Amino acid sequence: MARTGSSKSKIMLMALVPLLIWVFAFEIIPVFQMVVMSFQNSDGLGFTLDQYYKGLTTSLYLEAMKNSIVISINSSVAAMIIALFVAYSITRFTTGIRDQLLMVSNMMTNFAGVPLAFAYMILMGNNGALLLLLERMGVEAAGSFDLYSQTGVTQLYIYYQTPLAILLVYPIFYGIRTEWKEAASLLGASTWKFWRYIGIPVLLPGLLGTFSLLIANALGAYATAYALTGISFNLLTIRIAALVSGDIFPNFQLGSALAVILAIIMIFSLVVNELMLRWSRRRGT
Amino acid sequence: MSHDTTKKTKGLFWHQAVIALLLIYLFLPVMATLLLSLAKEWQSELVPHHYTLQWYVEIFTDVRFISAMGRSVLVSAITVIISLMIMVPAIFVIAVYLPKWEKLLQIAVLLPFAFPPVVTAIGLIKIYSSGPIAISGTIWILVGAYFILILPFSYQSIRNSLRTIHAKDLMEAAEILGAGKITAFVQVILPNILPGILISSLLSFSLIFGEFVYANLLVGGSFETIQIYLFNKMRTGGQTASAVVITYFILIFIISGFIIKLGRWKPKEYVASTIAKGGE
Amino acid sequence: MSYVKIEGVSKYFGSTKVLNNISLSIEEGEFITLLGPSGCGKSTLLRAIAGLNDLSSGDIYVGDKKITHLPSKDREVGMVFQSYALFPNLNVFQNIAFGLKMEKMDKEQYTVKVEEMVELIDLKGKENMYPGQLSGGQQQRVALARALIKKPKILLLDEPLSALDAQIRRTLRNEIRLIQRKLNMTTIFVTHDQEEALTISDRIFVMNHGDIEQEGGPRSIYTSPETEFVARFIGNYNVLKKSELETTGARLVSENELFAIRPEAISIFPLAKEGHNMDETINIICEAEVVMSTVLGNVMRFDMDVKGIGITVDALNESKIHWIKNGMTVQIAIPIEECKGLRIPS
Repeated sequence: MARTGSSKSKIMLMALVPLLIWVFAFEIIPVFQMVVMSFQNSDGLGFTLDQYYKGLTTSLYLEAMKNSIVISINSSVAAMIIALFVAYSITRFTTGIRDQLLMVSNMMTNFAGVPLAFAYMILMGNNGALLLLLERMGVEAAGSFDLYSQTGVTQLYIYYQTPLAILLVYPIFYGIRTEWKEAASLLGASTWKFWRYIGIPVLLPGLLGTFSLLIANALGAYATAYALTGISFNLLTIRIAALVSGDIFPNFQLGSALAVILAIIMIFSLVVNELMLRWSRRRGT
Repeated sequence: MSHDTTKKTKGLFWHQAVIALLLIYLFLPVMATLLLSLAKEWQSELVPHHYTLQWYVEIFTDVRFISAMGRSVLVSAITVIISLMIMVPAIFVIAVYLPKWEKLLQIAVLLPFAFPPVVTAIGLIKIYSSGPIAISGTIWILVGAYFILILPFSYQSIRNSLRTIHAKDLMEAAEILGAGKITAFVQVILPNILPGILISSLLSFSLIFGEFVYANLLVGGSFETIQIYLFNKMRTGGQTASAVVITYFILIFIISGFIIKLGRWKPKEYVASTIAKGGE
Repeated sequence: MSYVKIEGVSKYFGSTKVLNNISLSIEEGEFITLLGPSGCGKSTLLRAIAGLNDLSSGDIYVGDKKITHLPSKDREVGMVFQSYALFPNLNVFQNIAFGLKMEKMDKEQYTVKVEEMVELIDLKGKENMYPGQLSGGQQQRVALARALIKKPKILLLDEPLSALDAQIRRTLRNEIRLIQRKLNMTTIFVTHDQEEALTISDRIFVMNHGDIEQEGGPRSIYTSPETEFVARFIGNYNVLKKSELETTGARLVSENELFAIRPEAISIFPLAKEGHNMDETINIICEAEVVMSTVLGNVMRFDMDVKGIGITVDALNESKIHWIKNGMTVQIAIPIEECKGLRIPS
């Protein structure tokens, strides 16, 4: 091996070539191509900021962005709150039950997109079984519930974000060590004071990180809303897909510009996640 | 003492209630779908009155359903196998011999998180619908895109498997005992990372099986996967669609079961590695 | 004729030098130890001998053969790793047999040899167990057997005991030494534990910052450290500058600037004149205040203050020293011949 190291590592590098080619062909070049297109005019020529201008001034697209962001934040907040309660409860059970519950959460993350939209139609669509039940129980609001509205779509987003949020929040809770609570109570801290001064500050970076991951997850989602409402519900992903799938007038350049905007919003939330991770790591938790 | 225990059981009761509510919340849509798939008909009633298996019979005798299933299995299997053949050697080489490349690999692996399928699809359609590699509308563009989609999962699990077995030490030990690099890899590394690889393969498999965005945007009707089939069925026949959803759910359930089984199969060195860590 | 010869070996990682032109030689059947703190280069040197690291310059010979450029598998060395590195998918028997299988030896032939080895390491009846079912000590025995079965020319031990608890560590240490003697196996042992090094080795090479600071038998390394690093690393020596030693009243003729004094070489007496009858021509006698005393089992350690200079004194923990109390002023006697002049490493 000695001093022939460099030629050996050249052979080693060969093992990376297929992966590199693949990543370039199906990830880097397409993304690059998209960025290039976003600066072209609608005939695919020249260099122009028109597409961005159009994307950022047309009310249809502005509303799509707003809807995407609002629905992402709302569903992430709701899923986080559910996950906080559930994850804390999960830590209270024995290891066996804990593993099973996590496995159920893991399995349910697969129940998203088209099957989920369909199941919700049965449950809460027009004449949905759950709505009928609620109405008979005297819940008036059930009668006016519209699954195909923003409130309805948000329900689906909350549903598929919840298991993911549980899977992400649980390990953070698990990081709170019993010895800390014991140490704090020996030092005279009440339960409330423990959470106020130790528990929450320790959990916070992880929770904020999880939150930004959920936001990114919701921002990029397309299948669920599309399966439920077709292209009628105005989300950024649905607008982008409609612009490139060519049903009406395909406009790759405008689609690309919107996609770049979406990617920037997502990268922003992922950067927040990374910063939060670093913050919590630096403090050694 | 007794006061303490009642307090504890009372606490546990609340936790059980929380979990019960969660399970109801998560399984309610599945249950509703299951009822619909077994109902003779179900309209404006709380629960159906007559039950039947006819919708299952219908889909399992429908050639279109069977072929859609077949296509989904095919594209998932091809992608997972290619991914393993490329990823296992690449990650192994980086982990053991070229640790400097790890950062670059991590970036490549994280990119799919920043660029969701809707975004990547634009470039893919543009590049592969014409020109030298016109594979748009075929299975191959899906394989290409799905490979990237499962990259984070396969990377994570292969990397973790290599880490738990101390792959570098094992390779060195084997080589000092006279094994060549390839023999050492095949006899010592591969058998020990197998459970981890299988788990990641199953996860990837179920991920691809449930994928809709690429399938819809890149191939659409020309390569009807199970998700596209379901999407089309949803509009025409509600009850057959519910049978499809339940079939899909059972499949996920079975795959999850395998994953649990494999996950319990701990690497045999488990105890030793924790001891070794303690000494460092 | 030395059996293992290392000549002018250097190793850079980027621009950091981890091995600085190291040369050493080892006799056949000798047990030598590379001792030093983490990052001193000891493991890098060991791994270079095994062919797991390449070298920037220098050569390694075993017997008469230059092995500098040979791949690991052709070097005929055996190695035991800190993490054991047992193959988790193979049982005890298969782990030990692995090296022989690689030589394409027949099953009948290697079964006999493996059984011999299993007996040697005292694990009879455990052949079918997997590494995960064994204790740390048992795993390390298997690793030892696996390394020895091919009758390697040298046995390399990379901190093999550091993951074990104190009790098992001592037993296994003695066993390794017994087996090594029995097989007359040339052995290179790497450790950061000076007690381990002193008890197990024929010769010790103390390493620091990629250099060998001192080599010698355990006794000479312990009693005659040559540098400040060795004095501090090996045994809690008092290391004093010439000027500090002179404030205690010493008149020294030596050229050295630094001196090391073993704590147990110093004796303590009551202040009263009749308290001692030491010869002031061969002892430095001075007053000292007892700052702190610590019980270290059979030894008491006293931290003393002599005119602002801290000096540690060890004494056997017996009733005749129990008069010494914290805060007391006492007299201490430092034998002048125990003030070992230290070399300043270049």
